[in-house]
Amino acid sequence: MWRGPMAWRGEAIDRRGFLKAAGIAFTAALSPRALMALERADAVYASGFRAPDGSFGIATVSERGEIVDRIALPARAHGMAYSAATGRAVAFARRPGTFAMIFDPSRQAEPIVITSPQGRHFYGHGHFSPDGTLLYASENDFDGNRGMIGIYDARDQFRRIGEFEAHGIGTHDMTVSDDGRLLVVANGGIETHPDFGRTKLNLDHMEPSLVLLDARTGALIQRHGLPPALRQLSTRHLDIGENGRIWFACQWEGPRNALPPLAGWFEKGEDLSFVSLPEETTVRLGNYVGAIAVNRREGLVGLTSPIGGAAVTLDARAGVVVREEKVHDAAGVAPAAHGIAVSSYDGQFNDTRSQVAWDQHIVRISS
Amino acid sequence: MRTILVAGLISLLPLTTSAQEADTAPAVTLPETEVTKVMTDAVDGFIRPGYDAFHQSAEKMTAAMKTLCEAPSQANYDAARSAFRDTAVSWAHIEVVRVGPVIEQNRFERILFYPDRKSTGLKQVQAVLSRSDETAVDPATLATKSVATQGFGALEYLLFGTGSETLASGTNGFRCRYGAAVAGNIANVAKELSDIWDAPDGIQKDWEQPGPDNPAFRTGGEAMTALLGILVHGAEAVRDQRIETFYKGADKAKFPRQALFWRSENTWPTVKGNLEGLSALLETSGMVNLLREKDRPVVAEIQSMLKSMIEISSTITPDLEKAVSDEAERKKLDTLLDGGKDVIARLNDGYGGAIGLSSGFSFADGD
Repeated sequence: MWRGPMAWRGEAIDRRGFLKAAGIAFTAALSPRALMALERADAVYASGFRAPDGSFGIATVSERGEIVDRIALPARAHGMAYSAATGRAVAFARRPGTFAMIFDPSRQAEPIVITSPQGRHFYGHGHFSPDGTLLYASENDFDGNRGMIGIYDARDQFRRIGEFEAHGIGTHDMTVSDDGRLLVVANGGIETHPDFGRTKLNLDHMEPSLVLLDARTGALIQRHGLPPALRQLSTRHLDIGENGRIWFACQWEGPRNALPPLAGWFEKGEDLSFVSLPEETTVRLGNYVGAIAVNRREGLVGLTSPIGGAAVTLDARAGVVVREEKVHDAAGVAPAAHGIAVSSYDGQFNDTRSQVAWDQHIVRISS
Repeated sequence: MRTILVAGLISLLPLTTSAQEADTAPAVTLPETEVTKVMTDAVDGFIRPGYDAFHQSAEKMTAAMKTLCEAPSQANYDAARSAFRDTAVSWAHIEVVRVGPVIEQNRFERILFYPDRKSTGLKQVQAVLSRSDETAVDPATLATKSVATQGFGALEYLLFGTGSETLASGTNGFRCRYGAAVAGNIANVAKELSDIWDAPDGIQKDWEQPGPDNPAFRTGGEAMTALLGILVHGAEAVRDQRIETFYKGADKAKFPRQALFWRSENTWPTVKGNLEGLSALLETSGMVNLLREKDRPVVAEIQSMLKSMIEISSTITPDLEKAVSDEAERKKLDTLLDGGKDVIARLNDGYGGAIGLSSGFSFADGD
């Protein structure tokens, strides 16, 4: 349900305030030589990272995987989103974090940091409306034990203007249909509470679901629970492919020797369909997909698993595996100029190894 | 036996895979024999004895409560309070294990409902007392009530809270019989945990013998990640849930009455118990033996830090109002917070990195 403008105002703090709070310098940490070699126009991806000194930040990255620019963060980031309409990107704090930073990868505008309201924390993902005027964020109403979608006004310093119920618990990834009419929500089904850190509180009675909401009103359009045998299959990450097909990726919390389905798709008005991965592929993925991305132009879907140390590419039309690659500590995926870009915790990003640990998600910031 | 899970009526795509595979990075591999020994020593040398000791202690506490009810006296009252302390410390040792059966069926919360920022437990226990709810004096029926009324938090209030002095007089009063039922409930849950871990073909075997058909761990790497996870999450819990719930730093708001067991002055004995549990698990499991000679000093460094924290926790005043207001006492709290941070970093990056978790163990939790 649309809750309308709220009394609480999303706290937009200026760059100086943010950096004071962060206690770290905002810096482009590139050597002059690197700056000569790479211009900001070369940046086509953005991803969170951890530096060797333990600090966290966001980097923009070239097609080859070279770091173009860096922005410091006070804590670990997780999911990211980009608006082609406005040129802005956002990085969300990892759950149970309470900040998100909206930034301009070309550095034409100052970053804006927002914090989640009292009683909420970010779940680590969000998405812009197609025209870039709204930012949606997955959030936890932790005392109410329910997922929410916070709504922030990009035309007003990302002031929080409302929220919708996510119709599930453990809300994680969310995205928006190309026409902006639908919000797609992955409720992982796992209860957490900031008092207990990242502890999963209900693994023996999970309630995963995939949900479509009316983006204008928040009304529930469609909700897919999972059958009893897949009750411990946490539906966590999403991307949208051709013709509005919604791809989802899952993480299995049940017995380690089971072979659950790990990815699938659905469309408005349709049931869920699961990709029938070969047994050996499910084993290689370690029953865990950490990120999913669709390359629409080439009809590919990329999946990565840090648990299994694997990157798998699917044919989006046939739903079959076309490539498997062992990638130690595989982290993020994004559509590449050709194929699927893959990063890893140990610093590999496409063709380049850098002295950072790439975090779990990549966003493409160039068409 | 591996279980292939399918999604009932959910449609599945035909499987015509033409996967290509390219080996680009090795997975983390650990010597199976060594891992089996470490896991066996962790289970047989720490986890099972820990739950057994907790069970025995809880039975003694139950007996002490029954004695108090039947023969109320100052001596029996003191003995019951002493038994509470012994059992709380016994729990603190094994509490660091926040995985497996203890987090299923609300067992953890039934033993200890904490943090409890809204004092839900206090309100519910007071309601039981004011109604003299006879269904609360039988451990079997108490087990079906709110978890906040059936664990250590409830018993602490009954033994140390307002009106507890009445326990020293008045045979078989309601407050005492309710307290005996709480103690009996804790003993029942402890027995369940002990029995589950002692069953030779259950979780004990799953933890000690990782393998492809194992429902807990397919590989030694997964098993060691989980074991290291107990230490990391246990150290995080001491910092985040036991200290930062009431003290985050000299310049931050302080909430001494949010501390666990402030009424009974068992805050520091149980923090010490947690730290001793972490140290004992690290030692007993022989995790150091999985490291190359040059990497082994990290374990001694961690043990040295834990030892220092254990010593400091023994010297902090049980008067938590004073602990957060007196400068010298505050310095001890700051030292514990800093020490906890160092322990976590050395476990993550030092030990985790040394066994091949390239970016620190917790980074592999993709979320």
